Amino acid sequence: MQTQTAINIFVEETGGYVASQLEACTRCGMCAEACHFYQATGNPEFAPVWKIELLKRAYEQRFTLGGKVKLALGIDKPITDNDLEHFSKIVYEACTMCNKCSMVCPMGIQLGPLIHEVRTGFSEAGLVPADLMAAVNKQVEEGSPLGVTDSVYEDRMEWVADEWEVKLPMDVKGADTLVVFSSIEIMKFPENIAAIAKILHAAGEKWTLSKKGREVVNFGFYEGSPERTKMFLNRVFDAVRALGVKKLVVTECGHAYDALRWTSYNLVDVPKDLEITHIVGLMGEYVRSGKIKLKAGAYNDGTLTFHDACKIQRRGGHIQEPRDILNILAPQSFKEMTPNKEESICCGGGGGVIAIKEADPNRYAAFELKIDQMKKVGAKTVVMSCSNCRLQFTDCVQHFNLDVKVAGLSQMVADALEE
Amino acid sequence: MNWTDFLAFTRGPLFEVALLVFVAGMIYRLVRVVFLGWTPDKVPARGSKVGGALKSYLKGFLVWPFIPWVKNTFSRNPITYLAGGLFHLGLFVVIILGTAHELVWKSLLGFGWPTLPLPIVDWLAAGAIVAMIALFINRLVNPVLKLISGPAEWLNLIVVFLPMVSGYMLTHHLWFPYEVLFSLHMLCVDILLIWIPLSRISHFMFYFFSKAIHGADFGKRAVNP
Amino acid sequence: MSDESIYKEMKHSGVTRREFMKFCGLVAGAIGLTNLAPVEASGLPAHLNGPGQKNQAVKMVAKALQTKQRLPVIWLEFQDCAGCSEALTRSQSPTLVNLVLNSITVEYHETLSAAAGFQAEEAKQAAMKKYAGQYVLVVEGSISPKDGGIYCTIGGKSNLDLLKEAAAGAAAIISTGNCASFGGLPRANPNPTGAVGVDEIITDKPVVNIPGCPAIPEVFTGVLANFLVFGSLPKLDHLGRPKTFYAQTIHDRCLRRPFYEAGKFANSFDDEGARAGWCLYKLGCKGPTTYNSCATIKWAGGLSFPVQSGHPCLGCSEPNFWDGGGFYQGQSAPLSRPDLTTVGAAVVAGVVVGAGASLANNAQKKSAAAQDKKED
Repeated sequence: MQTQTAINIFVEETGGYVASQLEACTRCGMCAEACHFYQATGNPEFAPVWKIELLKRAYEQRFTLGGKVKLALGIDKPITDNDLEHFSKIVYEACTMCNKCSMVCPMGIQLGPLIHEVRTGFSEAGLVPADLMAAVNKQVEEGSPLGVTDSVYEDRMEWVADEWEVKLPMDVKGADTLVVFSSIEIMKFPENIAAIAKILHAAGEKWTLSKKGREVVNFGFYEGSPERTKMFLNRVFDAVRALGVKKLVVTECGHAYDALRWTSYNLVDVPKDLEITHIVGLMGEYVRSGKIKLKAGAYNDGTLTFHDACKIQRRGGHIQEPRDILNILAPQSFKEMTPNKEESICCGGGGGVIAIKEADPNRYAAFELKIDQMKKVGAKTVVMSCSNCRLQFTDCVQHFNLDVKVAGLSQMVADALEE
Repeated sequence: MNWTDFLAFTRGPLFEVALLVFVAGMIYRLVRVVFLGWTPDKVPARGSKVGGALKSYLKGFLVWPFIPWVKNTFSRNPITYLAGGLFHLGLFVVIILGTAHELVWKSLLGFGWPTLPLPIVDWLAAGAIVAMIALFINRLVNPVLKLISGPAEWLNLIVVFLPMVSGYMLTHHLWFPYEVLFSLHMLCVDILLIWIPLSRISHFMFYFFSKAIHGADFGKRAVNP
Repeated sequence: MSDESIYKEMKHSGVTRREFMKFCGLVAGAIGLTNLAPVEASGLPAHLNGPGQKNQAVKMVAKALQTKQRLPVIWLEFQDCAGCSEALTRSQSPTLVNLVLNSITVEYHETLSAAAGFQAEEAKQAAMKKYAGQYVLVVEGSISPKDGGIYCTIGGKSNLDLLKEAAAGAAAIISTGNCASFGGLPRANPNPTGAVGVDEIITDKPVVNIPGCPAIPEVFTGVLANFLVFGSLPKLDHLGRPKTFYAQTIHDRCLRRPFYEAGKFANSFDDEGARAGWCLYKLGCKGPTTYNSCATIKWAGGLSFPVQSGHPCLGCSEPNFWDGGGFYQGQSAPLSRPDLTTVGAAVVAGVVVGAGASLANNAQKKSAAAQDKKED
């Protein structure tokens, strides 16, 4: 039954976009060389091409003559529940959907989006790992996977406003910009909220928070469920409509940016003329236009490097902005890791992996590639613009007992604002 | 049937049939995929989709035939990069710029073009054959390739390998009389032509889809594909 | 014909010993006794392969000619043009060809015989009887066995019967020219007479094929000289051709070969390339796949051969050369290509089947979506 549901979804999702890319695959296995999970563990089942194996098999068996012949000859077997369970572990616990594999693929197959299709089938079939599903359900019920209910949100924001002495405008009608934080920032990195508030204030932005649209994270998108992805997107867009803002700023969260900026338009009605941007893009614009001034060379002690997040840099396009900012803040100490920018190696915690306890060995193994990179440049501080990466870095720095400071870019900017 | 008659068969009716199967089969594959429907992309772009797609093609064509260049991946799987690139380079030079093949194109299309001196074509052909052997061994050894290779993958390698080897032997008149070699070469080519639409060798057609999708997706986000 | 040896006959006609030895040298050369590979091919014992072999070879030839009588030859013509006979009789290398021809007696030849009609036929019968088991049968032209051989008859006898009759008493058979060897022009599509080569009919006698259109006279006389000296046919390749003369392609020994290697081709008969003597491959030259001695022995006494004089090789010594693709079309080009209508039909078929498959697949998608909805 589970199998049938999953296959139905695969069949349903397979249009020209999926089919043409599945047909293009030459089975060269090159994608594996881009995957941090395969690189770190050497497990061939972590090869991206293997993660879309069921989608490919369903396509061949249901849509192509060759597939039907193969099935009849016994070269290929029907997909079973066991297959699904087996692949569920691979697709959720060993993939951050970072899409680096698509850059290595000689055919340019968009493996990330295809793996997302696989997750969609699995989520409908109820094969999402328990930890991730628990978080999804929490977001459905409480509005946040980390338990940020209305009252928690209010308390927390009040506390942040007091603690850091910043203004946090709430539900201000007539504001230009709605800023939505992720629950990771609210619960684990509250200083980020204060930092961003400071920056927005300095730039003279007319902005507001919303109680209704208080959670930018979209666990439905991690899981691959279109239903719940839409539900969480609409919570934010409803707030946009209620407040009538023109601009939506996604704070330091990568997956949310991918969902809101690059996916929502194809899933739900996005309020007309709404500009969706990321805080990194906004800061870059502020710096370029002179709306905020930064203390040049404020972080010139100790080597500092920048970690590119898969969803904000490679899949978001905000590659230049953080570098512009860091070249002002730390012109002497800023050093690039290799590979970097769109070719960067993923942190290993994205795509919901960090929410799944069973995936910890994979996550730690993948992070060792990152440790290598940091060691090579001798980084004392590593900066990033995604709080999911930051969570993974913070956890791994502790786990591996590293002497590296993990910092959010917004906070560094806020601390270096020229009064 | 002697070899001369067999040659006339493989160069004549069989080739004709193979060509028609190839054309009909490729069109069938194309139509089947294209008519599955395309969801329009409503996401507002930050960069140029067309520009991204062009960059994506150029990167594939220029750096090393059809192999994109991404840091820290070459050293991990150099055989696929080098042999894969050399194979495609050799293949395309031989079948387009080899004089004997150009005459085939000319007879089919009605026009021809200048060709390369034989030694260049010959060495590239030899390179492509060696590359195929390397790819074959790599598929036997590499854990990922072992996992994802089924009977179809092995068959594909063999079906592509045979015309290349028989063509090389034909050029050098190796071991067998020429009509035997010519017949075998034509037979292998005919089999290949019929096999392409049934297999993943047809990737050269879908290459233009996937590369364009990839390029547009990255271009849309203002990222280099 | 007398019973004297060839040497004695030659002496009678005024040939000196010195001239005779020179002739022996020529014959030895013609049958390829002068260098190693052909020596082996001609069946010469291995002990002759060494220093001074040339002298030994000449002595060997001289010994044979001093002891053997002139060789009786019966020459039959079937579906032919007499071009091979023409080439032989008009050969520009009289010293060799004429001298070899002097060592044989042509007992019967339709074109050359002074006699005609029943007289000639009777002479043939007499010769076949007298030299039964000794004579060499030369066949020029293809055989038409179709419908009992009625498409080619001489004196009321079908060519099939004539061939079988003459072959029965022959010591060996030489098929001269492409027609006798492989069926030649008469065999070209649609082959109305069902033409075939000699060795497809006569299988119980040694048959040597000397294909070419016509056969190179020096090759023909070479084979004859070989039989004269050794009493047997030379070593043959898989198509029954003497290896001595058919071991290499025209391309292998072509004087325009360097241009081929360098990729310099004439693209028409009057372009710069043609004037500069570049390779004729693109003008349809079949040299790379044609085994013959044109490029080495050449024609008209070693003066030239087609490729040298500016015309691509037609491949006339290969089986099926008339149907093996256009003369001026590339040697590698396919023999036939689908016309536009057929290609169009294939495209339409592809579109129809593809669209059909796609309709079925889209229906699957819809039903999957419907099932999915029901579950929700």
